[in-house]
Amino acid sequence: MLANTEALRAEYKNVWVVAEVLGGEVQKVTWELLGAARSLADARGCELWCVAMGDGVAKEALSIRGYGADVALVVDDRRLARFDDEAEAAALVRLIGKYKPEILVCAATTRGRALIPRVAVAANCGLTADCTGLAIDPTNGDLLQTRPAFGGNIMATIRSANHRPQMSTVRPRVMNALEFDPEREGRVIVESLLEGESGSLKTVIEVFHEEENAVNLSDARFIVAGGRGVKGPEGFKLLKKFADAVGGAVGASRAAVDSGWVPYSRQVGQTGQTVQATVYVACGISGQIQHLVGMQSCDYIVAIDKDPNTPMMRIADAAVVGDLYEIIPALLKELART
Amino acid sequence: MRHHIENKIYHVEILPPKQETEKLEVDLEAFAVKFRRVMESGYCACVTDNAMGNLAFQGTEMIEELGLEPREDLVMIHLNTFHTKEALDEILETCVAKGIRNLLVISGDGSDRLPRLQPLDIGAKGVEAVTSVELLRYIAERHPGFFHLGVAFNPYEPEEHEFGKMERKIAAGAEFIITQPVIGLHPVVERLLAKYPQVPVIVEAWMSKKLDLLSEAVGYEISPGTPYDPIENLKSLHSIYPHCGVYLSLLGFKTQYDLVKDCWK
Amino acid sequence: MRIVVCVKQVPGSSEAKIDPETKRIVREGVKAVMNPFDAYALEEAVRIKERLGGEVIALTMGPPRADIALREAISVGADSGILLSDRAFGGSDTWATSYALSKAVRKIGGVDLVICGKQAIDGDTAQVGPGMAAHLGWAQATYVMAIPEVGEKEFLAKRMHEDGWDLCRIRFPAVLTVVKDINRPRVPTLKGRLAAQKVEIPTWTAQDVGAEADKIGLEGSPTRVVKAEPPAARNKATL
Repeated sequence: MLANTEALRAEYKNVWVVAEVLGGEVQKVTWELLGAARSLADARGCELWCVAMGDGVAKEALSIRGYGADVALVVDDRRLARFDDEAEAAALVRLIGKYKPEILVCAATTRGRALIPRVAVAANCGLTADCTGLAIDPTNGDLLQTRPAFGGNIMATIRSANHRPQMSTVRPRVMNALEFDPEREGRVIVESLLEGESGSLKTVIEVFHEEENAVNLSDARFIVAGGRGVKGPEGFKLLKKFADAVGGAVGASRAAVDSGWVPYSRQVGQTGQTVQATVYVACGISGQIQHLVGMQSCDYIVAIDKDPNTPMMRIADAAVVGDLYEIIPALLKELART
Repeated sequence: MRHHIENKIYHVEILPPKQETEKLEVDLEAFAVKFRRVMESGYCACVTDNAMGNLAFQGTEMIEELGLEPREDLVMIHLNTFHTKEALDEILETCVAKGIRNLLVISGDGSDRLPRLQPLDIGAKGVEAVTSVELLRYIAERHPGFFHLGVAFNPYEPEEHEFGKMERKIAAGAEFIITQPVIGLHPVVERLLAKYPQVPVIVEAWMSKKLDLLSEAVGYEISPGTPYDPIENLKSLHSIYPHCGVYLSLLGFKTQYDLVKDCWK
Repeated sequence: MRIVVCVKQVPGSSEAKIDPETKRIVREGVKAVMNPFDAYALEEAVRIKERLGGEVIALTMGPPRADIALREAISVGADSGILLSDRAFGGSDTWATSYALSKAVRKIGGVDLVICGKQAIDGDTAQVGPGMAAHLGWAQATYVMAIPEVGEKEFLAKRMHEDGWDLCRIRFPAVLTVVKDINRPRVPTLKGRLAAQKVEIPTWTAQDVGAEADKIGLEGSPTRVVKAEPPAARNKATL
């Protein structure tokens, strides 16, 4: 809503995190957002609310509190068992109108990025997508939202000065969750879905959930990724051996996925997944901007390549010049010995 | 093809304009001018198919849209495996309609923007992917007796591998061979000629002074700064391979075109 | 079926190089290209038209030169293009952009589907698609990887998620954003290119589509960029 005077802006209070809910369970990324939002709420001297919409989501109130929210606002309805973005958007817009939060954040997942832009337009608010940084401007209390632009080469800071709530979707695996505190105090507000809000425009008729036995790329602390330099599916078998030996996951650049050497679920980068591993070993990946965007926030980057001058070799913390087909087996031998 | 060699007819490579060109009209005109010049000289115009995986317009399309007139037996179309079946059939139909009988059938350089023929598309069995071998068979089945089908030979790739492929290509219907660019005498090409004395062979002559570009394209080992005179190389190829035809790539139409006719004695 | 495909002209980012010293993007000589994701939207629209009949209209909001993106769209099967161009649109964020585009869709009238690419590679926001759906009050489906069925009043769309997919039955009219998995875009033929060059492309102004002044351009944009700088550098060691 337009809030172009101080008086109007003063009507909006509190920081909201819209939870990512799947199958009635709040997903891990929500805790990350609560962690970041807690600092925002403290800086503003206001409450932190977590809005959870789903089927069977009321039971999550305790976890929501434990991870930092003062209030769990739950909309628990069978009709929200599957992702109905029109229904959730309608409900959220109504709740925003009722409770007037000053700031609203949500995870920049496929669901978050479907939902929040619809909400932002309907509620006449500014929305910044895929933020990697959130802070309060000490001079005027506005939310400063930082996000990568132009494939990560520019960090842009954005503000919505005259509209409330200020909205952001936040990139997963960038913020840090608070430690779970079972003693933390908080309360629950129960809201419901209104009659007209659900089912008229869309019905989700089938859902497929991928069960991966292998270590999930997004959770992995150690990733071994292959690119064009791996030259084929055989090479990825080698990388998998290495990943298995260190309890890590295999990733890939788009070139490798497009060549059919690994499935798309392994892809890291702008059109794949963003990862936040402790160690990222890039094998034969040149380091195009679109790939770097997906892994540059990893703590320690090792690059292995015959060419010492690729972008990946230049940004790596450790650049190993050589043939990965010699280096990886050598590493495996070493690991077998220890 | 034997006829081309006996009559000292050069094969002149012409590239169609790239899809991304910002000056399409200019490039189309340049192509037309080159094509007509080659026809008038009585040489054979060889039109490439998305060379190096760069999206470009199709040879048969160029000929149709620009109203170009292929002279009898003086056009060769490159054809690779990066097409849909529909597009492939259309290219072949157009060639038949225009009397274009010479095809250079290659696996080709792909890109993520290009479709790829699948084995099922062309009735190929027992293979994971379509190569020039399967494409040769398909063309020969679909238009029996119409086309003269040629294939590529790369003397810079591991020899056993390359000769193995050539066996399969010949078995699938290849009637002539074009080699990658050679500089002077190349022992592997000698072995090729010895192995297939009945098959017309056309050696490719690199007509650009920039030898380093050739290294990049085929992995030909060359020390930087080696001086290279393409015309001299052309002359030496004629003398080293007197029974072979010659394919001119990267020919300078302004500076070199008029010089080549004096090279083939 | 009347399908509108929104296309955007963007800088060719894979050609944009980083100056290793200043960490800045080198923008000289970077070509403008059609947003790569839009090719998938176009291809899907054209395929639906080929299956069921109808027309595909390409729509772009941009400077006068953006007609190039529209001609590219026509060369691969769009029937016509509309250029939404007006100084008043300058400085629009995604709220204002999706508003302007939705006004154009209303003016076109009788539209069953709006299809957009997943996101534009310069802004990367992925907000305009759902934003348009909200302005229009229509159903939406994002990250669509397949449209298995199209009926009279409804269609099926498969949406991609990080953890799998879901299948939705959706009422017309709707706004979709699509991912690359949905198809392989066809390459323009020379015939298509040449025909597209000759096509008349109308330009619509803010007034033509009835866009309200306080909802477009800077004034209509709730967000503002206050700073842009290169990211922090990393430490390196070479073995």
